[in-house]
Amino acid sequence: MSNMDHKVALAATLAAGFSRRQMLKTAGAGMGLVAASAIGARSAQAAPRKGGTITLAWLDAIDTLDPHFTMSGGSIKVINNLYNGILKVEYDGKVVSFAPDLAEKWDMVDEKTHVFKLRPNVKFHNGDVCDAAAVKWSLERVADPEMKSPHAWKFAQLAGIDIVDPLTVRLRFKKPFAFLPVALTGSTGRAGTIVSKRAVEQHGKAFGRNPVGTGPFRFVSWKENDSIEMVRNPDYFEAGLPYLDKVVLRIVKEPSAGVAAMMSGQVDGLSLCPFQFIPELRKNSKLSVYGQVEGNYSFIGMNNKRSPFDDIAMRQAVAFAIDRNVIVKQSYFGEAIPAYTCISPPMTAFYDPNISKTGRGQFFDMAKARAFRAKAKNQGEINPVFIVTEGFTGSGGMGTRNAQLVSPMLAQIGIKPKIELVDRAVWAQRRNAGDFDMYDEAWIADLDPDETITPEWSTGKPWNFVGYSNPAFDKAAAAASEIMDTAARRKLYIAAEDVLLGDAPLAVLAHMKVFKIMSKKVQGFEYVPADLLNLHTVSLA
Amino acid sequence: MASAVQPRAFFSTGTGFGRVLGGLAQTGLVLWVVSVVSFGFLKLSPGDPVTVMLGSDFSWDSYDKLYHDLGLDLPLPLQYWHWLSRFVQGDWGTSYVSQQDIFEQAVLQALPVTLTLAGLSLLIALVVGIPLGVLAAVRRNSWADLAASAVAIGGNAFPSFYLGVVLIWIFGVTLGWFPTMGFVAPWEDLGQGLWHLALPALTLGAWYVGLIAAVTRSSLLEVLEQPYMDAARARGEPEWRVIWLHGMRNVLMPLVTVIGLQLGGMLRGAVMTEVVFTLPGLGMMITSAVQTREYIVVQAGIMITALLFILVNFLVDQTYSILDPRLRKNGR
Repeated sequence: MSNMDHKVALAATLAAGFSRRQMLKTAGAGMGLVAASAIGARSAQAAPRKGGTITLAWLDAIDTLDPHFTMSGGSIKVINNLYNGILKVEYDGKVVSFAPDLAEKWDMVDEKTHVFKLRPNVKFHNGDVCDAAAVKWSLERVADPEMKSPHAWKFAQLAGIDIVDPLTVRLRFKKPFAFLPVALTGSTGRAGTIVSKRAVEQHGKAFGRNPVGTGPFRFVSWKENDSIEMVRNPDYFEAGLPYLDKVVLRIVKEPSAGVAAMMSGQVDGLSLCPFQFIPELRKNSKLSVYGQVEGNYSFIGMNNKRSPFDDIAMRQAVAFAIDRNVIVKQSYFGEAIPAYTCISPPMTAFYDPNISKTGRGQFFDMAKARAFRAKAKNQGEINPVFIVTEGFTGSGGMGTRNAQLVSPMLAQIGIKPKIELVDRAVWAQRRNAGDFDMYDEAWIADLDPDETITPEWSTGKPWNFVGYSNPAFDKAAAAASEIMDTAARRKLYIAAEDVLLGDAPLAVLAHMKVFKIMSKKVQGFEYVPADLLNLHTVSLA
Repeated sequence: MASAVQPRAFFSTGTGFGRVLGGLAQTGLVLWVVSVVSFGFLKLSPGDPVTVMLGSDFSWDSYDKLYHDLGLDLPLPLQYWHWLSRFVQGDWGTSYVSQQDIFEQAVLQALPVTLTLAGLSLLIALVVGIPLGVLAAVRRNSWADLAASAVAIGGNAFPSFYLGVVLIWIFGVTLGWFPTMGFVAPWEDLGQGLWHLALPALTLGAWYVGLIAAVTRSSLLEVLEQPYMDAARARGEPEWRVIWLHGMRNVLMPLVTVIGLQLGGMLRGAVMTEVVFTLPGLGMMITSAVQTREYIVVQAGIMITALLFILVNFLVDQTYSILDPRLRKNGR
């Protein structure tokens, strides 16, 4: 088996939901080689120019650069350039996989015990060594209930962390934990990102403004509402990387200002881009538009706890009355695909590319919608309150367009929503308090079904804002998270989804592309469909 | 009195020391009222910082902890008292979004940006607006008057967020002459600083140009009727001297009054302009803080704005006595 075959096989296995036990036993030793060969492949191309400063317009919000406390995808993108996770997310153009990052080798002793052999000679930006003790401290910081990290739930099943030797850590879980690879990646997982203990103790609450990690770039400064600067980490463990000397992120609140700066060449890239600008930017020969359908779904949530959507027939009527093709064309400017269920294409082991032919999930069928509407208790015209915010526009979303498009569709079955446009803070408050009949939302940057449906729709879970509850769904979703075998997991998720979409607490709409715009002089950018913007392989022509 | 607008005497209570004391007391009172009202309104506005901060990682557990940590579970008067007692001592608190000292963030970082932008805009407005107004008045009812009025009304009618986008499109994207975002401090790099501020200052200044031109025109028209103008001409003084020296001297008073009165409009425009051009000033700070419902930062922004208002009013009052010797008798 050559290294490349090996990589594909390993990637497929890891992405396929981690039935990796025998795979890792035989293949684990090769992981370090895989990482090395990937770098080899890079340097085999025309040698990238070293040095230079890249300036990016940063359109999404950055709350903190402390990975264990961030709640923003915009921060995660920066964090991935400053820190490393135990694992990282990779993408070969087809399959999303989990590759070793700070770990060199990953071994599963049994279904509940994972052993990670760490890379030697890795240093934090402050010179401290990143060894087993540092990793243990960092993971425990997330898991510690006292710390109240919003990502603590990812380690809820953690029984303990042992330092086997200075470069080996053992993670013991109470139950088999299928979500572990995502939790450890340090991207969407966030929980597995390793931070410097000394820096955390030194800066306390302000650590998020003075981040210290092991990543390819070192933090320099953060000027409020202005810019964040990072410089090359000369001691970065991937030899020869990064290429850039300096990274300047210009914080931009108004997307059109960022787009104007991009088109006039004042910046080299955009961290994201709202759909309405994409057609214009695609026409520009000086720019590269990166974006594929990512791990997300947009939907309309319906309040299960009060009339009229406590009535399952009313919800089902909504689910089948929406023409997703119109939404895709007009709300997303064609840069999305219709969603039938919540599980999205990057979750390769669980997503069915032929789902449209299976009859599963939700789709446009006016006859069905009318039939369900006829079964609803309230046969008169209803005017549910639909809360909408413009806030999504900034994060690449759809603003008010979905609500405007859906309203005439629903009017055909006697549902005329009362659209209330509110600002994001009000929207979030009303959503969280259940003060709505319908609301517009998207769950984004997910890599595993366990994060894409379980915390969103299980009974009593914090993101289940519509108050949906069905024990059959809860049981299937919970069981799936504790099984390592991919085929069995897949079956359970299909069962869970069939229950969920049949009950229709949500009308699922689309899986969306998420964009990064780069000038053509930016080379070596490796797009990963998890809303990442990793700059370690980037150089300027 | 020649001026169209009556000068207000904000600080003219008593004389000498008493006058200063009275002024200070008034200032304190105004600031206190502003602080109570704005604090109340902020708390009344729907949405709370905790839900915004928690974002998609919301849980009631973390909600309660954060709510408590931010002191939002205390009764409102107590929250206000906590804030006020620290504020007057110069402890403006730490932003829970940026973890930065708010005084530093607002006064040392954001305020200079806004003042620079406002100052430069005012300069542009005066340099363009006054000659435009004079031209319109002197050539009354001619095509020049019409053109000047059109420019004035146009500048006044264009909302700054719209004009900003238009200027960005023409001079930034299409022609590529000026940068469309970012702030470079002119005191660190004069050339770069002015270059970066050109479009925003033009945007904000355009609104003022109209106003200043209009006031100059109407005041000058009134002044031109005055007998002392004819007297000056009769003395054989050249026309430019008649207009610019004798005429404009009497236009300055209403002009200063209008500039002072319209400071609110200027600051409002600055908020829009800063957001459109991505300048890290007070407007941007307040906008972001409103979005995240970071009450204490908004409050700091409001207090600075209120202080600016009072300061400008004070300066306007002082300017009156310089401009009009007759007012100096009062209080001397």
